[in-house]
Amino acid sequence: MSGSPFVAARPLLVAEPRVRIPLLPGDRIVVSAGTNVAAGDLLAERVRDPRLVEVDGDGLAAASHPGAWIAAEPARRGTAPAGELLFEHGGRRRIATGPHPDLVTAPAAGRVVAVHPGVELVLQLGGAGIPGTELLGDPGHGRLALLLADGDGRIPLEVAHAGAIVVFPGRADAQTLTRARAMGIAGAVVPALAERDRRDVVASEARQRAGLHRLAPFPVLVLDGYLRRALAGPMREILAILAGSEVGLVAAPPMLVTARAPRDLPLPDPDRVRVRGGPEVGREGRFAGLAGPRRLPGGIVVETARVELDDGRASVVAVGDLERFT
Amino acid sequence: MTDVAAPGHATGAAPTGSATLPGDAFVTLDRGTATWAATVVARVDRRWRLLAATAVPAPGAPASDALAELLLDRVREADRALARDLGLDEPGTLPPLVEAVGNPTAQAVVLAATEATRQRLEADASAAGWRTTGASAERLDPLDMTRLATRPDVAALIVGTADPPDAAERDLAGELVALAAGVAERRPGLPIILVGAAAAGGSEFSPGTEVTAVPRPSADGDAHLRAVLAARRAGPADARHALVAATATLAEVLDLRVELLEVGMSGALRARAEPGPEPGAPVRIAAVEAPSAVLGLVDDDAALDRVEAWATLGLDRARLRDRLAELRLAPWADLGGDGALLRAAALRASLQRLVAGTAELDGAPPDLVILAGGAWSSIPASAALLVLADAFRRPGVVQVALDSARLLAPLGTIEDAAERAHVLGELVPDALVPLGTLAIARGVRTGRQVGQLRLAVGDAPVDLQLAGGRLALVDLPPGQAGSVELSFRAPVDLGVRGKRFALRATGGLAGLVVDLRDVPLRLPERTEARRDVLGSWEAALWPERDR
Repeated sequence: MSGSPFVAARPLLVAEPRVRIPLLPGDRIVVSAGTNVAAGDLLAERVRDPRLVEVDGDGLAAASHPGAWIAAEPARRGTAPAGELLFEHGGRRRIATGPHPDLVTAPAAGRVVAVHPGVELVLQLGGAGIPGTELLGDPGHGRLALLLADGDGRIPLEVAHAGAIVVFPGRADAQTLTRARAMGIAGAVVPALAERDRRDVVASEARQRAGLHRLAPFPVLVLDGYLRRALAGPMREILAILAGSEVGLVAAPPMLVTARAPRDLPLPDPDRVRVRGGPEVGREGRFAGLAGPRRLPGGIVVETARVELDDGRASVVAVGDLERFT
Repeated sequence: MTDVAAPGHATGAAPTGSATLPGDAFVTLDRGTATWAATVVARVDRRWRLLAATAVPAPGAPASDALAELLLDRVREADRALARDLGLDEPGTLPPLVEAVGNPTAQAVVLAATEATRQRLEADASAAGWRTTGASAERLDPLDMTRLATRPDVAALIVGTADPPDAAERDLAGELVALAAGVAERRPGLPIILVGAAAAGGSEFSPGTEVTAVPRPSADGDAHLRAVLAARRAGPADARHALVAATATLAEVLDLRVELLEVGMSGALRARAEPGPEPGAPVRIAAVEAPSAVLGLVDDDAALDRVEAWATLGLDRARLRDRLAELRLAPWADLGGDGALLRAAALRASLQRLVAGTAELDGAPPDLVILAGGAWSSIPASAALLVLADAFRRPGVVQVALDSARLLAPLGTIEDAAERAHVLGELVPDALVPLGTLAIARGVRTGRQVGQLRLAVGDAPVDLQLAGGRLALVDLPPGQAGSVELSFRAPVDLGVRGKRFALRATGGLAGLVVDLRDVPLRLPERTEARRDVLGSWEAALWPERDR
């Protein structure tokens, strides 16, 4: 019996992903369910500094439902501003309104399949998605470029990458990401990002959002976790194929999306595993069967597996420290 | 055999989707959110016995058959004749499955007219297993409340006032219900629970909206609301509901006061059960969940402080935060080496939070404390007893056992109470790994000689001088029991106050542990000194920690 079912599976490719674009009450939606969109198409106008206004419902246009967009119209006292109807109670309407200087655009080509005002838009995308663990910032899109570390482990950023979504080969830090944004880079994909750097990136994004002239979004997709590790081999292989093509970064679920179909992208051998913890962390190899329960340093007894590592060695690794790609 | 409603758990009966027990062998599966634990149980010499057990990462694809096959292969390999007798000798022939399912924590938003009502409703929702975010009309305007309630991760909306409402709430109740109806329009399928005077507002919602009305006119209104919320949170064969049922059954079959402390990646549970006052009387059971006590959750700096206070591994604060975040991402990974130390620190912090969040269950020490859930199984058994002693400073004497094979939750799903009692009664020696006897004394003076211990077991009594501020360890292996005399120079609190105590100690992997440290525990302020102190205690009860 193959033992690989006991190894935690990690999806490498998701076919035709369905993604959610978060909205807030007061955002003005400009598409409807069934609309086909291309990358960069306007989906909604985002309200900034929304406020609540309460208007007398008597004498206004016909009754409406919560979530409906209410156009500006004369009211008993002055003019009721345009906005999203939150609810109506006691003959009075509560409307979320405010200026809409920010634009929400489609991160990739697809079709709008559901519209929930104030909550989300749901897009059905073609192609494939590569899941990550978190997206920091708003969704975005651009040409994919792979960065290479120099001999000292530094990652050179070039002006030529302006407008691109760049892939960092190892863990990045907030300073490098801020520099990338300043150079006009459209987004980043990182294998890992420490919590402190995540906070800095989110704070930077919030500052941009508060600015009068908002810059383009700068999404950062974290593929793995928080601790320093390199890109997984199978992931690196797929990203190398996608280099130069247009991709999008989305938040819900967090993933990189491409128009390429999954069948056009390479999946690893089913027995291919990566070590994500323990002494062999970061190494990859082939699952060669279960090795039975063994005691780890520290005293806990766990299921283990034999792994033929790429460097030619054979090693026994805790099953929990392995991951395979599906 | 349960009569008293448990907060958040209606009866202590098996959860919905319960199992009926199959023939001569069955497989149990505790499908946790981090790991799946499986066992093979079979009748051997007309008694239910545990034959094999293991745990693996919660897989991405259903693998219960593969897991069962793995264990059955090991049974065949160990005793082919037994496997043949049980009809388990043919690969591919699987005995029936008895499973419990650990559901991920779900998020509820509480919207209340007043802060006081919000706090009460959030407490009820939390006790029923929901993670909560709340707002009151006193603090937030309708726009902010709508933003809170329309977040995509919200799985239920609880809207409430007191019943009868006071003057301020009366004005706000209608507006809150209208707001909730607006949210329900935006979030089709979102369940709405209307509490108190708001319960009369069901007609405000569009047809098709799932609205549950829970007025609170009666004295047991809180318990009713918790039961409604708990039932809505749990799916079929819910593991935490099953653990409550199993705890009640254990109290019945062992005729002991039993307390279960479960900590996992998706929630935490404390349940207490005690036999009825006379033979044949129903067991009394009470249980409260504490979702904020999940393992490794660091949602703010205070949470990180709590873990850091217990950490014995040399990490700076930023690195510790990253390690804990990784633990949440892949709880099955990095179990060896300092991964176990990290879990022990996180587990202490979680246990403290569980105990603090379930203070309504405080009382006299039970006879038996059972440690359940995947988090306890991620550290060695003897270390688990130390973690309990460190984080739960309750004076008294208790036996401690570990549900190491995670059998209790699946067995708690057995629908028939008599059958559940029969199976659990026979499986207790296999299902519960005895850790030993823990005696925590309060008010012990510091000093070299504060008292004396005499353990009578077999022909050779054990004598030990007791020193204040320290742990006294006596090797008492599983299966052994003895009489213990504790005499102190000055009165101490050992559940009762006195200078001389006679008690019965049962053995376990950690033996007899007499804890003469401070209650509550006082640790050095300086990080290095604190690590040294904690490390010295770990070294005593966790000899493998550095090997």
